[in-house]
Amino acid sequence: MELSFGDALAKILGTTGFTGLTSGHGVMLVVSCVLLYLAIGKKFEPLLLLPIGFGCLLANLPFSMMASTNEGGLLYFFYQGVKYEVLPPLIFLGVGALTDFGPLLANPKMLALGAAAQIGVYTTLIGAVFLGFNLKEASAIGIIGGADGPTSIFIASKLAPHLLAPIAVAAYSYMSLVPLIQPPIMRWLTTPEERKIKMEQLKPISQTVKILFPIVATIVCCLMLPGVTPLLGMLMLGNLFRESGVTARLHETSETHLINIVTILLALAVGSSMTADSFLRLETLKIILLGLIAFAMATAGGVIFGKVMCKVSGGKINPLIGSAGVSAVPMAARVSQKVGSEEDPSNFLLMHAMGPNVAGVIGSAVAAGIFISLFGDVGGASPHAQSAFEAVAHIVSLP
Amino acid sequence: MDTATLTTPLTISVIAMSVIFAVLIILIYTIKVMVYLAPYEEPPAPARTRPNPTAALVTDPRVPPEIVTAITAALGAHLGKSPGEFQVTQINPGQ
Repeated sequence: MELSFGDALAKILGTTGFTGLTSGHGVMLVVSCVLLYLAIGKKFEPLLLLPIGFGCLLANLPFSMMASTNEGGLLYFFYQGVKYEVLPPLIFLGVGALTDFGPLLANPKMLALGAAAQIGVYTTLIGAVFLGFNLKEASAIGIIGGADGPTSIFIASKLAPHLLAPIAVAAYSYMSLVPLIQPPIMRWLTTPEERKIKMEQLKPISQTVKILFPIVATIVCCLMLPGVTPLLGMLMLGNLFRESGVTARLHETSETHLINIVTILLALAVGSSMTADSFLRLETLKIILLGLIAFAMATAGGVIFGKVMCKVSGGKINPLIGSAGVSAVPMAARVSQKVGSEEDPSNFLLMHAMGPNVAGVIGSAVAAGIFISLFGDVGGASPHAQSAFEAVAHIVSLP
Repeated sequence: MDTATLTTPLTISVIAMSVIFAVLIILIYTIKVMVYLAPYEEPPAPARTRPNPTAALVTDPRVPPEIVTAITAALGAHLGKSPGEFQVTQINPGQ
């Protein structure tokens, strides 16, 4: 094969990315640079927004074959870990290895705050349906209110894969903005007297309970909501590595190298799904708006339930710790501490807020499990049980 | 599934919140039973040192209050004491 100088030059010029560059690519390259700026310049969730931003940048370079949809490309293979729901549970394994459930076990009532904060998920679900999304899409958007990135990605990839990119970006962006979003809502919903409440020192917990908890919680929650098993099962396995005391190497790997490697793969895969086709749509703006509502409502739900618990307990619970029920470990707990110490510098709420904070992780996983039970492909019940359920549904006749 | 009416997501929300509370309340009582069956036992008490009531709080401007808070909370958890029972008087920031 012979090529003249002119032919060779024309062929090379014809294969540069410039010839395939569209306005959509241009906008997405700007979006990727904004994400990189937020990560590097503003330090907003840099561990996630940096690889997401760079994945977005790679995916929007024409002919690079780096988008999640470019079969055979590098990030296509990374994306399979999201598509087949492998990577988010592995993140949960690392989170479990990093999490001390001690504050929650010392005061298990804090689980109720983790449940209350999930109101953000469901108000957003209603809002999303109102804005024209179908129920599966609305569920995937609503879970942003759980303030849990891996859970959001897990549900989005299962129920609305076409919305994965905007949902993941909204979830991680708002998680990084928790210190800005939460305090005004917390101050607005509480009185100075409530913010000054000092809580009793947490009781110590035996190591036996710490070891039993991940096993028992897995059995209880996963029997009730099998759809939650990949997330909650991995969370609890990671925690069992931590607490058992016999798997130091596995614990160390889970909380360091494994979670770091999986974070790189997951964030790059999410970034690679941010192509102009999937991202530059009106739905993205709606999702970003709904994400903000989700975080605000989740915070408000936690604080209001904290106020209820404060009244019921005779003023022993500081309502500020309710906001930590939104998950976002440990940032939300730090926000509770910060807002409390602004009112009274000698008030130490951090360890108390860690209870609802880790309860929020469990709560958002349970909320995800409910969505999977309702809209996912969880194995069916036995014929006898199925007919019983149909009979109940007939009596209740839900819309 | 097509765009649903607003009553459907409302119903789902009510049921889902009820299920979340039910699951987590079951978990609360499960934890309480576990804590009852396997209570914490005090390790052999180390020699107690009296807190210094005259000690001043950390005033080093190089140490932000958040760091003092975090260290106090961690020490409290480690020692099994309320943060009010002791005072961190000095923190040497690294070079």
